[in-house]
Amino acid sequence: MKTTSFPSEWTLQRAIAFVAALGIGVATYIAIADSGGGSPVCIAGSHGCATVAKSSYSHLAGVNIAVFGIAGYALLLACAFFASDAARLGGFVLALGGFGYSVFLTYLEIFKIEAICQWCVASAILMTILFLLNATRLIAYAGAEGETDAAHAS
Amino acid sequence: MPAEGARRQRLLRLAAGALFLATAAVVVLVVVNSSGSAGGDAQHITGAREINRELKGIPQYGLILGDEEAPVELIEYGDLQCPVCKGYAEEILPPIIQTAVRSGKVKISFRNFTIIGPESGPAGTAALAAGYESLGWNYLEIFYRNQGEENSGYADEDFLAAVAKAAGVKDMAKWKESLKTLAFEPEVTTEQAKKLGFTGTPSFAITGPGTDGVEKLGTPGSTGAFEEAIANAE
Repeated sequence: MKTTSFPSEWTLQRAIAFVAALGIGVATYIAIADSGGGSPVCIAGSHGCATVAKSSYSHLAGVNIAVFGIAGYALLLACAFFASDAARLGGFVLALGGFGYSVFLTYLEIFKIEAICQWCVASAILMTILFLLNATRLIAYAGAEGETDAAHAS
Repeated sequence: MPAEGARRQRLLRLAAGALFLATAAVVVLVVVNSSGSAGGDAQHITGAREINRELKGIPQYGLILGDEEAPVELIEYGDLQCPVCKGYAEEILPPIIQTAVRSGKVKISFRNFTIIGPESGPAGTAALAAGYESLGWNYLEIFYRNQGEENSGYADEDFLAAVAKAAGVKDMAKWKESLKTLAFEPEVTTEQAKKLGFTGTPSFAITGPGTDGVEKLGTPGSTGAFEEAIANAE
């Protein structure tokens, strides 16, 4: 089922791992900034990050949503290390969930909080890229066996 | 390879299902949030834990938040029923509270400016009463978080008491007694606001070493505008 018009699965896996690692970095920074009672620092003196961080939407059940972001990116990173249908579908579903939630959070920033946090935008962009990469991987390689083995991927 | 093709078809069907569910979930979330919570429900007071945590460690007395000796005083004339005041409490003032107020540079004084309706006075009095236990700002913020529709009757005794409990008021008997003794206070501060020339809520004023007495700010539109006013007042 290998399709020549798509990048190799190995290339897609590496790209997913790289973007997921960046996502872990962004989400970790937001979570650490919040845990100290502060908020992420926006560039160019914007106050959007503090406004978003202090809004009621920044926590779910008392937990900063960046913590859920770290978990999501970590699971996406894990899916990138396996060339199996479970990893392809799991990566797609995780990225889809993350992308959907990013769309919702962006809606909240624009229409409810009326402030933009640059770090949240960065995370939303990374999640969008991950969704596209994982969707490409699933469409191109679903059902394929041994396209890239686990040893190669890792 | 028919088996591989069948597996591929099954996976893609699963993915399509997940895509449909995710799209539906996002639409539902946006619709629910755009319609907004009705609020004003004494049985479901939300946000108290988060608010109490955010205010922890900041001195309070009455409805003044911050160090008593802070050189700059930001004065807010607000109405607990006012949705714009709620917006200020939730979006614009928190960064000021967590930086300038927490550091002892600024104190914020909330004064009732009860212009929206008959429920505004009792609500403001309830906050003043919570101030006796140095929980006035916890009360204000939790009230705003759970604010209902203006003059819809939600701010009844049960709702006011539920907010007081959520704010951490321990002596509810004393709090209830204070509602009677402080009942006239919102009228006094409302008159003050009118004398200053304010006509709507929230309205702000500031005083500090850099100001010529109490200077009216009106209704600054952003956190940055407040920061600038504070810098000028220092």
